[in-house]
Amino acid sequence: MKSIEIKGFKRETLGKKATKQLRKDGNVPCVLYGGEEIVHFYAPVNEFRHLFYTPNVYTVNINVDGKVYPTILKDAQFHPVSESPLHVDFLHIQDDKPVTIDIPVKIEGFAKGVQAGGILRTEKRKLTVRGLPKHLPDELVINVDDLDLGKTIKVGDLNFDNLELLNAKNAVVVAVRLTRAARAAQQAAQQQS
Amino acid sequence: MKGLAQRGNEIAFGSFAIKSLQSKWITSRQLEAARVAVTRYMQRQGQIWIRIFPDKPITKKPAEVRMGKGKGSPEGFVAPVTPGRIIIECEGVPYDVAKEALRLAAQKLPVTTKFVVRRDYVEPAKVK
Repeated sequence: MKSIEIKGFKRETLGKKATKQLRKDGNVPCVLYGGEEIVHFYAPVNEFRHLFYTPNVYTVNINVDGKVYPTILKDAQFHPVSESPLHVDFLHIQDDKPVTIDIPVKIEGFAKGVQAGGILRTEKRKLTVRGLPKHLPDELVINVDDLDLGKTIKVGDLNFDNLELLNAKNAVVVAVRLTRAARAAQQAAQQQS
Repeated sequence: MKGLAQRGNEIAFGSFAIKSLQSKWITSRQLEAARVAVTRYMQRQGQIWIRIFPDKPITKKPAEVRMGKGKGSPEGFVAPVTPGRIIIECEGVPYDVAKEALRLAAQKLPVTTKFVVRRDYVEPAKVK
């Protein structure tokens, strides 16, 4: 999995006043947990641009005052109106400890159903997987070449090496839906016969 | 209504949405007008989601009636909206179409709104 680095600074004071001041100065308060210690730090808001505004997922190397922690983004809170980041949670990752993360789905191939006039709909953009950090891929590639008109690929149909899928087994990931015109034509044909 | 929307303030289904910037009641008629505006502009392409539901009954006294003599009769239903609340989402149309469709919808609503896009949205590659 691709990784990016965020340079942070340890927070000296916690609490509401200090947090508000941090945000006023263009920083985002963050917390890092899951390791031996809990680290409260902050980083400039621009550092998070490549982390939030992208369909990709990354492991994040957080450099807090010279010490580097390998982490993943666990949670992020945003302002309801301005949508600026308010707080970010990072989870410390260890090589021998499995982590749960959402990984984007990449559709590959040209579905039979699309050739027949259907529309390919990606119902889930990301899937929740559990696995060791070294096994986590950048994206989950799903081939749709054999997907016919009106057929779906569900989570239960998928299998990836060294990864456990945590979504509901019957959740639809990708489907070829009939267009309105195709559906009308099908109904007309049924009525005639 | 005080405060900001603490729920329903993130895009959940589609890629584009309009978000309220004011506190107000949105009536069922206004919401239906907005829905029709989006559907007409999108020419039945894509999909839309209405994220609020008018479930609050509102009463009103008839015109030229003196105060008293009991409560007015139910007039309709409204959805209370606070700043930050996502009102309509859409998906399956290009960025420009979605922006214009939602602008037309916003004109039917009594609140000022803001057009928002899913944080991880990327424009799909155009097929040549």
